[in-house]
Amino acid sequence: MPLKVYAAGASLAVLLVAGVAQAGETLTVYTYDSFVSEWGPGPGIEKAFEARCDCDLEFVALPGGVDILQRLRLEGQGTAADVVLGLDMNLMAEARSLDLLAPHGVDTAALDLPIAWDDDTFLPYDWGHFAFVYDTEQLSDPPDSFEALLEAPEDVKVILQDPRTSVTGLGLLLWIKKVYGEQAPEVWSRLQERVLTVTNGWSQAYFSLFMNGEAPMVLSYATSPAYHMAVEGTDRYQAAEFEEGHYLQVETAAMVADTEQPELARKFLAFVLTPDFQRHIPLGNVMHPAIDLGDELPAVYDRLIAPKSLAFSPEEVQAHRREWIREWRNAVAQ
Amino acid sequence: MASRWATHSRWPLTAGIVALVAVAGLGLGSLGALLWQARELHPAMLWQEPWLAAVLRFTLWQASLSTLLSIGLAMPVALALARRPHFFGRRLLLRAMELSLVIPSLIALFGLVAVHGRRGWLAPLRDALGGLPDDYLYGLSGIVLAHVFYNLPLAARLMLQALEEAPPAQWRLAGQLGLSRGALWKALEWPRLAPLLPRLAALVFTLCFTSFAIVMTLGGGPASSTLEVALYQAMKFDHDLALAALLALTQLAICLTLWLLALSRGGTPRLAVGGHPSRSAGRWWRRDALGISRFTDACWLAGLAALLLPPLAAVLVAGVLGLPDMPRGASLAPAALRSLSMALGAGLGALALAVALLAGRQWLRDTRHPLAATVMEGGGQLILVIPALVFGTGLFLLLRPRLGSGWEGYALVVLVNAFMALPFAMQVIRGALPGLSAPERRLADQFGVHGWARLRWLQWPRLRRPLALALAYAMTLSLGDFSVIALFGSPSAPTLPMLLFQQLGGYRWQGAAATALLLLALVMLVFAALDRLTRRPPRYGWGREKGKREGEEVSSE
Repeated sequence: MPLKVYAAGASLAVLLVAGVAQAGETLTVYTYDSFVSEWGPGPGIEKAFEARCDCDLEFVALPGGVDILQRLRLEGQGTAADVVLGLDMNLMAEARSLDLLAPHGVDTAALDLPIAWDDDTFLPYDWGHFAFVYDTEQLSDPPDSFEALLEAPEDVKVILQDPRTSVTGLGLLLWIKKVYGEQAPEVWSRLQERVLTVTNGWSQAYFSLFMNGEAPMVLSYATSPAYHMAVEGTDRYQAAEFEEGHYLQVETAAMVADTEQPELARKFLAFVLTPDFQRHIPLGNVMHPAIDLGDELPAVYDRLIAPKSLAFSPEEVQAHRREWIREWRNAVAQ
Repeated sequence: MASRWATHSRWPLTAGIVALVAVAGLGLGSLGALLWQARELHPAMLWQEPWLAAVLRFTLWQASLSTLLSIGLAMPVALALARRPHFFGRRLLLRAMELSLVIPSLIALFGLVAVHGRRGWLAPLRDALGGLPDDYLYGLSGIVLAHVFYNLPLAARLMLQALEEAPPAQWRLAGQLGLSRGALWKALEWPRLAPLLPRLAALVFTLCFTSFAIVMTLGGGPASSTLEVALYQAMKFDHDLALAALLALTQLAICLTLWLLALSRGGTPRLAVGGHPSRSAGRWWRRDALGISRFTDACWLAGLAALLLPPLAAVLVAGVLGLPDMPRGASLAPAALRSLSMALGAGLGALALAVALLAGRQWLRDTRHPLAATVMEGGGQLILVIPALVFGTGLFLLLRPRLGSGWEGYALVVLVNAFMALPFAMQVIRGALPGLSAPERRLADQFGVHGWARLRWLQWPRLRRPLALALAYAMTLSLGDFSVIALFGSPSAPTLPMLLFQQLGGYRWQGAAATALLLLALVMLVFAALDRLTRRPPRYGWGREKGKREGEEVSSE
């Protein structure tokens, strides 16, 4: 019976995929997809850490920071994670209220962030600003403020992401709220004139639309041009610097309180602020490293914009996010 | 009593029930787990929140419009394809049709934008003609265009299959009688298409209703949003399980009602049951293939090609240009292999479930339990209307705390993918499974052809091609799937779609385009391989084959 043969083949194939379990001490780190890809910082960091810990560092990749939080929430005390890496400032308060995380105990003197940092649970490993990236071939004179963007000519369209489904989208929501406060809904409805479309994720916006030349501007990171300049060798894509300042994103790592590997987890967190970890960040994760890398920082980083930083505290974000999203929805949905 | 045993042997029912329990149990179980976590529901939110009501209205509107256009346009396309069994590029067109359903939305969007976008390939034409706004790809028109791009080929492909399965004798007779176009439509084409339509419409509607990335990306803003987006927000960002469960239940209620409606219609039994796939055997003359229909058919087929091929070509071009930036090989081949073996597992799982459910349904129908038969078939569509996010999270809640490490994660993905491909597999096989007509059955009973022999010699020959097509759809659906695997996370061993997203996350556009191309090539390969394996009629002894033919002609009198 051929079906039987197929079925046997299929189960065999599944078994083959399964691979072999590894023995020894394992540190499990929940993180996001692009961190562990072969182009991301993951592989280099894994190698560097395993060389000094005599252990096995295992990344479990989830689609994004929100998914890490969601996974933690679902697994609760039974989580397999020893360390979570990839929760940004806007997720910190939510994650803290789960009562699953422990103090990192790392000396943060080496930190080099645009803001002061005194959180004892969440340890920053990189940072960046949200920004509008523009195509110099389509736009020679980019807006230099929100006001200029709102007043820009008819054909200056921008591609946004939805604050309900994407990190960058939420970033813009907070950015506009921080700059305009009470006036934010009004600004949003004025901004509608400039918006080509609002995608669910950054990849759709950047790859499917912006790289296809659909609009001259896209909501992204101020560090995005670093990749284009350093790896692709083109100056075509640049970030527009807004005089109001740019909203800050800080990505953090934290250890799980109930971990079976507390020693190893602490060792890993201490490792986060060393050059062996940080040197993989600028071109691997395309974000600013959390410490001063000195000469090791790629030269293109000197050519990025260096705007003023804007941020709400994680607690403010937690308290108001739903209300602000509702406000945004009412402002933009006719 | 031999005949009673042969006709009403209980194994199809047993298999059907087992499959139904598995599908409905896991589907409803996951939803139940979510409800149990959520504790309390506030159904009043649905109409008290003006925003939710607006989302619901828009979702219904765009899904209805997309369904109407997809099905309505698919009909003439399928007829034209059936009327022209031989023309240059026909096979390519069929392959492209199969492809369009299973392309991951990210890739399809890339192709659509490259062609229809403000600066797409069509932009010069659009400017020359005037009239069309340059951003017609964004907003309702864009959503509908993308949904038609996805669903018209699926609908047309299934309709074509139904048309091609008409017994050659009927076509021959129609040719000899020189039936005109209208007469053919009445006598042959409509009776074959009509029973298909309600289910097809329900399938397309459900797909459009639950569409996520397309509606968001092309929608232009939160004014055009779907329930899935609200669900995603409730589930992921707000962890508002009560709202998530409420939305999932709303979706379930709407789509399930539709399905029950569709299943209770379109249940008319066929007059005659299909014989061999007739494409290769068909050399009969069709009067309606001449004259004006030469021109109209050409228009329909050109229209189909214009809808389908340019976006695929855009993906192809980008992929070829990206080949030098392919990942350095180390991760690509294992990822492809991993994807393929998982797809094979999911495909076979979907096939087994589909056959079991349909056999059970047929048994119930034969023994005059139409309601139970409908439930059995409807059970298979259940997964379609439970959002993947709900299904995955619910399963997670059910199975925790032991889950997710190593191969368990992969096995779970295979399982969920098998479930999600099930509705498609059922749609393809459904037409072929009823198997023998009553006279054929009687004849077989008289000759004492039972059990294994009957399956092997009478049913298998009719089933093999639909089964192969169903397997191809099921396999490629899970091949391109990202949503399920994203739910469970993975140890650093990605599948192809994951690799694609990783590349995008790391700005590797060109490499990602090449990976997308590889994914499409694999999809093509699966379809082509399964088509080739089953194209030739199986090698039976000449005598048996002849005997069966005669039997068939007796029955179709």
